[in-house]
Amino acid sequence: MMDIWRFDAIGTIWEIGTADPLPEGERDAVRETIDDFDQTWSRFRADSLVTALAEEPQEVPAPPDAAAMLDLYRELSLATAGAIQPLIGDSLASRGYDAAYSFRDRGARPAPADWTDRLAWDDGALALHEPALIDIGAIGKGRIVDVVHDLLGSLGHVERLTDAGGDMRVSGAPIRVGLEHPFDGTRAIGVATIADAALCGSAVNRRAWPGEQGGLHHVLDARTGEPVRTYAATWAVAAEAMVSDAVATALFFDGGAEFAAQHGVEWVRMTAAGAVEWSAGNRMEVFA
Amino acid sequence: MKLSPSVRQGSALVGIAGTLLLAGCAAESSSAETTTESATPQTSSAAAPSATSTAASADSGSTYKDGTYTADGSYQTPETVEKISVAITVSQDTVTKVEVTGDPQASETKHYQAQFIGGISAQVVGKKLDDISVSRVSGSSLTSKGFNQALATIRTEAKG
Repeated sequence: MMDIWRFDAIGTIWEIGTADPLPEGERDAVRETIDDFDQTWSRFRADSLVTALAEEPQEVPAPPDAAAMLDLYRELSLATAGAIQPLIGDSLASRGYDAAYSFRDRGARPAPADWTDRLAWDDGALALHEPALIDIGAIGKGRIVDVVHDLLGSLGHVERLTDAGGDMRVSGAPIRVGLEHPFDGTRAIGVATIADAALCGSAVNRRAWPGEQGGLHHVLDARTGEPVRTYAATWAVAAEAMVSDAVATALFFDGGAEFAAQHGVEWVRMTAAGAVEWSAGNRMEVFA
Repeated sequence: MKLSPSVRQGSALVGIAGTLLLAGCAAESSSAETTTESATPQTSSAAAPSATSTAASADSGSTYKDGTYTADGSYQTPETVEKISVAITVSQDTVTKVEVTGDPQASETKHYQAQFIGGISAQVVGKKLDDISVSRVSGSSLTSKGFNQALATIRTEAKG
């Protein structure tokens, strides 16, 4: 039985599991690591790097995680024909999911298709050439889960669980995780059994709010600025959380299943109409 | 109803491969044999060491002539007959290579093969979390208090 430490950070609820309770100094290290990441990448913070870049495009030394995340974004963007990309912050804010949580829909705003011309991340520098709000939500939570999980490992915790609001990674004993029904939180549509792996889930039910012409949610197609209407929930199991998070996002779009196959990632997804699709694999069981 | 194209294909392959190996040892004749499965899908296969075989010299002691044998098989879906081809290479009585190629007819088969999907179910089944003994749950990210409060506010405004 692991000791569970539960706390709020980066807009979600974390649970860290270790064999024995973490000493205070280690808890501080975890919180600091998460805060450093948040202060760089959160578009919800006035003091973040991405907020500063949006106001004043410029070149800065590349923050940790920039190259790893943006390289993966390039792959995702190609795989989904531009549906996923990191210069989508203004599109999200336009529909109301802005830094103030105003939830006031100001209409669909497609993200710039030429994002790789506007954003460069080579030679140890991060350069934004045109004003744009970076949002790394497609893979960011997975990345910080990996960073924290690795930190705990380096502190000597062999058996450990890092769960950021349902995106998780576990080392040591296997765990059974319910795949939450997106329309009924008291139910699961399946079960994942994972050991030394990461599971990320994504769905349209929580970050959802009223819009001008019908309900909106946070999984936008960058090409149109509109929320996806086909898939309601996705899950992916991979060795690392950043990759499983990326696949969970990609699965909302055409090209997602192929992207998953290329990365050897197992997945399940549910359509808005209540059908379920899954890849080959034996770590997730769908009740069907 | 749970559909699993890879399972249907697998059953067809078993039927075809068995027929192939039986035919392989009689390289001169062309025999057609129908294999039926007790449950759907139904498969049929015609085994012919055909023009695509590469003839290799056979060891006098082997049961099967070395070479590559192809057979075409089919399996039935509710809408179509799906064709697959199997090429088996035999060397010294051992199958050393199997290659399967498909010619999907059913749009659903094409769709699955093109879409890297392993299986589908037409209707989700939800089970109560209490009934399935899981230690945690994964879905959309849990939201913070600030988010929840802001959302509650806007939803109230939207109604009023």
